[in-house]
Amino acid sequence: MNFDSRGIPGISVVTTGFTDAVATQSKALGFEPAVLFVPHPIQNRTPEELDKIADDIVEPALKLLTAVK
Amino acid sequence: MAERLEAKHKGGTLVSRKIEYSDTSDPMEVCYQRGWTDGLPVTPPTDERVLEMLKGTRRRADEVVGKIPPYLGTCTVEKVAINAVLAGCKPEYMPVLLAALEAALEPVFTLHGVLATTYFSSPIIIVNGPIARAIGMNSGLNVLGQGNRANATIGRALNLIVQNVGGGRPGEADRSTLGAPSKYTLCFAEDESDPEWEPLSVARGFPRGVSTVTLFQGHGPEAIVDQKTRTAEGLTRSIASSLVKMGHPKLVQSARAVLVLTPEHYAIYKESGWDRKKIERALYEATIRPGREILAGADGVGEGVPASRAEEMVPKFHDDGLMVVRAGGPAGLFSAVLPGWLAGRNKLELQPVTKEIKT
Amino acid sequence: MTNWMRDPTAETSAVKRARRVPPKSLEGLTVGLFDIGKTRTPEFLDRVEQRFKERGLKTYRCGKPTNAKVATTENLQKISSEVDVILIGLSD
Repeated sequence: MNFDSRGIPGISVVTTGFTDAVATQSKALGFEPAVLFVPHPIQNRTPEELDKIADDIVEPALKLLTAVK
Repeated sequence: MAERLEAKHKGGTLVSRKIEYSDTSDPMEVCYQRGWTDGLPVTPPTDERVLEMLKGTRRRADEVVGKIPPYLGTCTVEKVAINAVLAGCKPEYMPVLLAALEAALEPVFTLHGVLATTYFSSPIIIVNGPIARAIGMNSGLNVLGQGNRANATIGRALNLIVQNVGGGRPGEADRSTLGAPSKYTLCFAEDESDPEWEPLSVARGFPRGVSTVTLFQGHGPEAIVDQKTRTAEGLTRSIASSLVKMGHPKLVQSARAVLVLTPEHYAIYKESGWDRKKIERALYEATIRPGREILAGADGVGEGVPASRAEEMVPKFHDDGLMVVRAGGPAGLFSAVLPGWLAGRNKLELQPVTKEIKT
Repeated sequence: MTNWMRDPTAETSAVKRARRVPPKSLEGLTVGLFDIGKTRTPEFLDRVEQRFKERGLKTYRCGKPTNAKVATTENLQKISSEVDVILIGLSD
């Protein structure tokens, strides 16, 4: 799913334990996607745990979504 | 099969980076994603195809041909072959493409400027000599249009080299306001079927029978119509009246031009015994006008010559600024002009370049 | 099976293309939040969206109906016309 080719910079949030697949996908896509990792698994998290995981990626996501290094 | 085995074995002799893709990817889409195309699809450059293309030249794959503007990427014969594959060339086109690239890299051709300009121009390739027929180039019907593989792909390959090796892309280093379809490709052979006609290659100093490429910075074509005039003198004035309109009627000595003279127009000249030199000289002189007729500011039109030139006889072109090439189908009383790049104010600094094609 | 083609460029860029350059600031821009259909993603994105909104960002929720199917071109085109940048999650 390639928003990059439609002019939309994007970032992906991916659970860890999935690193290999992302590397393969980016090889196929031909560009380095901006990827944030969150802890695995996700399905069985409590609402509070899920909230914390979401809170933790907000700052990194904002950094990746802009050109600020 | 043998080719594939040879590729596996000899694949070691290719040094260009491998761009990998999975079984589920379409290599043609990968070429698009990597930005290797001119908008039209390209042929995926597999090892087999590149090795096959390299058979078209005796030159070594690792030989450096030059540095390609705008970003001066190093271009080896191998890179030429890869882009030739992209473009759809046959291996036998390689000598023409290599000669064209070397001609385009001559400093006086000013390839960087041609790429970066806001004008319409790109490298136009004119081929002379036995190689044109040998590789099946078109010099006749629809010569400036589509349909002939050699015409289409040799010009295309050169433009892809500038884009891919040189990094010259529209919207980036290529600032052309409008561009032109000729920026995809414009490459053709001169019609040398009349042994009495002096080919462009000979006019530019090469012996008859030697194959050459002439690189011209320009675009086109634009129509020059005359379906009525029957004399050489009259036809000259008629064509000249179209030529002076090139770019702007009052714009002078700022661009070269190629006149593509078609068979029916040429026949009128031939009947009167006019050869190349006479035609070119007559056309040049017929485009000279009094300065007072083309003054800047007249009628609110800004273009034109300064008042200081009012008493001068002002030519449209530099004295070597108009090249005639014979080409086109047997019927049609229209010729064409390929207008040159507008940066041609200094005739010494910007010139077409002719090189021998070595096989 | 590995397939490959030979690079026609001067090889001055990375094998992987750099991703499209993001904007310098998100002020005034719309951030898309794309749900790729994995379990718990809606709640996750709810929280991320809330945090983004607290910072004064404009957001746009979108996604595909199930994880199994690929996004339709029509869908992608619509989203691309509504957002300036996009966050896609969660891949599990």
